[in-house]
Amino acid sequence: MSEPLLRVSNLKKFFKVRRGFPNPETVIVRALDGISFIVQRGQAFALVGESGCGKSTAGRTILRLLEPDEGSIEFDGQDVVNADAKQMRALRKRAQIIFQDPFSSLNPRMRVGNALAEPLLVHGLMSKKEANERVRDLLEEVGLPRDAGIRFPHEFSGGQRQRLGIARALTLNPELIIADEPVSALDVSIQSQILTLLRDLQQRLNLSFIFISHDLGVVRYFCQVMAVMYLGKIIEKGPVPKIFDEPLHPYTVMLRDASPVPDPTARKAFERIEGEVPSAVNPPSGCHFHPRCPHVMDVCRKVYPEWIDVDAQRSVACHLYTEGRGGLPVAEAG
Amino acid sequence: MTATSKIEPVLDVSNLTTSFRIGGEWYPAVRGISFSLQPNETLALVGESGCGKSMTALSVLGLVPKANGRVEADHIRFEGKDLSRLPDEEMRKIRGNGISMIFQEPMTSLNPVLPVGFQVVEALRYHQNLSRAGRERRALELLDLVKIPSAKSRFKEYPHQFSGGMRQRVMIAMALACRPKVILADEPTTALDVTIQAQILSLLNELKAETDMSMIFITHNLGVVAALADRVAVMYAGDIVEIAGVGDLFARPTHPYTEALLRSVPRSDRDTKTLYSIPGAVPPLTRMPKGCRFTARCELAVDICRKQNPPLDALAAGDAHSVRCWVRGNHDRAALKENADV
Ligand SMILES: Nc1ncnc2c1ncn2[C@@H]1O[C@H](COP(=O)(O)OP(=O)(O)OP(=O)(O)O)[C@@H](O)[C@H]1O
Ligand SMILES: Nc1ncnc2c1ncn2[C@@H]1O[C@H](COP(=O)(O)OP(=O)(O)OP(=O)(O)O)[C@@H](O)[C@H]1O
Ligand code: SF4
Ligand SMILES: [Mg+2]
Ligand SMILES: [Mg+2]
Repeated sequence: MSEPLLRVSNLKKFFKVRRGFPNPETVIVRALDGISFIVQRGQAFALVGESGCGKSTAGRTILRLLEPDEGSIEFDGQDVVNADAKQMRALRKRAQIIFQDPFSSLNPRMRVGNALAEPLLVHGLMSKKEANERVRDLLEEVGLPRDAGIRFPHEFSGGQRQRLGIARALTLNPELIIADEPVSALDVSIQSQILTLLRDLQQRLNLSFIFISHDLGVVRYFCQVMAVMYLGKIIEKGPVPKIFDEPLHPYTVMLRDASPVPDPTARKAFERIEGEVPSAVNPPSGCHFHPRCPHVMDVCRKVYPEWIDVDAQRSVACHLYTEGRGGLPVAEAG
Repeated sequence: MTATSKIEPVLDVSNLTTSFRIGGEWYPAVRGISFSLQPNETLALVGESGCGKSMTALSVLGLVPKANGRVEADHIRFEGKDLSRLPDEEMRKIRGNGISMIFQEPMTSLNPVLPVGFQVVEALRYHQNLSRAGRERRALELLDLVKIPSAKSRFKEYPHQFSGGMRQRVMIAMALACRPKVILADEPTTALDVTIQAQILSLLNELKAETDMSMIFITHNLGVVAALADRVAVMYAGDIVEIAGVGDLFARPTHPYTEALLRSVPRSDRDTKTLYSIPGAVPPLTRMPKGCRFTARCELAVDICRKQNPPLDALAAGDAHSVRCWVRGNHDRAALKENADV
């Protein structure tokens, strides 16, 4: 395989927050606690996990919209963490982000055509006339009328605004798009239109994606490789169909089984979570998942499990796979 | 439980139309829908954003904004009363007591400056003859029931100190406060992640099993529908276009919209090579076509579809599965021809 487009190693991002009343204390949120992964060209890489596990923080830190506290990020062999302002500007042309809420990222008083042309003009890439033509092409590319640029954001529906967000991310011909929950606010039929559009762009333009979502159905359709996060750490990664068919980590199993499938014959009793979902402020000792884990052992409460490469493509951080233990009971993985 | 069983329905809605005045004209957002809800039944309302799901629920409770909204119905019958003709004062007694609603956005319906426990106590105030201490005891029981961890010590905490999932569970506790006969749950899990969603769904299922509560569950998540519903009504642009038992609907989706919708969902339990997408979009309220409102997006559309809205008819005599479609539905063809000339 060729040199990867993106290589993230041991990336950390902590937030200091003041909490508590009447005596506020400064606490540290370990939002990103040393994550590592690789994205190949043309690949859609999924980051999944429950709310607050650090997915958005990862997306933003990679583009240095948030400054990392530790770790390295290499984009096409280039050091992102230590890039100066000029290098960063060049990098930001090649990597773009799409946010979940497209409305908040569109200027309500600006015609969308002008908003889309802006980065082309700011970067001095084109004349006004060329930029306008490029905008019309882009609008068409995302399935909007070529003349939609004269309208204001509020004149578009939710699905159309998401298309505008995608058009904007495409303006500068990026190689990597970080899509943070790009379809979670949309209903089923608009979601499938947008996913179809993104899939088509990926294939035609050989785009890479970091695709952030907690909808496993969407991930299974759109992504080739995935990483599952829990409280700031990646706990399992590997190729998409394999993780779904044969999850290694007990948390991945829980996540998969909690995802409802549109089939009443597959109806099952949902697992109940007992106690509180722990927070990234003071994650549980040992394996962070141990208070919720049905397979917890003594060692899990004390020691954070190391990364184990289960085969050439898959790895997991769970004590069930260390010291010659056999992994998950077969019935459960199946 | 089937629609044809002889038990009295708890809620019976007949010919409900909810309209809005836009630019001086009235446009129906819900147009002439009828359905009934049996004791202990969960009816799911599904369909595209804007198809009228929330307005249906709000109409039942008399909560459609009066400034530019209007509700008409032959009847909305609940416990022998016609809610569509009830004075405001009486309607207030029904809300939260006989019928309660879980709103989609928990943060906007909880008061941010009042402690959570106090708000649950308040929900009990108008409806039950309990002493102050009795109400507090009951409120605590309810918070325990919805599995708020260490509810007792959190009783005096404020909404912002609760996570999204916990706030949603508080809303459910409040909706349950007065042991309603019917719960109207409007997208109660859409904002939650899957593990918390699973927890809330299992809680609702459990409560339903323990009491004879009925539920209208609004969602556009077809996975949730499959997990929870007894019956499903699919809405499109203000019409019910298909209604059936949950097993039947998924096994035999018959309306072209229902069928397309099911093909548009990427599933986590199997590979999807190509995802179907329905072309186009729902027409705006002010520009609804004359015939079937799905015509412009429908692969099966024929002439009559553009002229006349089809009736919602059972697929076979006595069948609980009904479909509103000229091509796929079961209609009296002779009558159809006659009407087509009109
Ligand atoms: N600016 C900030 N200041 C303090 N804490 C923050 C900040 N941004 C995020 N956090 C915290 O960091 C953790 C990770 O947040 P993040 O937004 O990355 O989660 P997420 O996985 O994207 O969740 P969701 O699925 O809800 O979007 C959370 O505990 C969050 O509260
Ligand atoms: N106050 C209002 N004035 C005018 N039109 C309204 C008003 N409230 C709702 N509508 C319109 O009524 C229709 C039905 O709205 P409703 O809220 O019931 O949709 P919904 O099916 O609940 O959609 P969603 O899935 O997005 O919640 C929509 O076309 C909406 O734009
Ligand atoms: S390390 Fe232990 S507690 Fe953590 S997931 Fe594996 S078995 Fe469960
Ligand atoms: Mg996020
Ligand atoms: Mg609604």
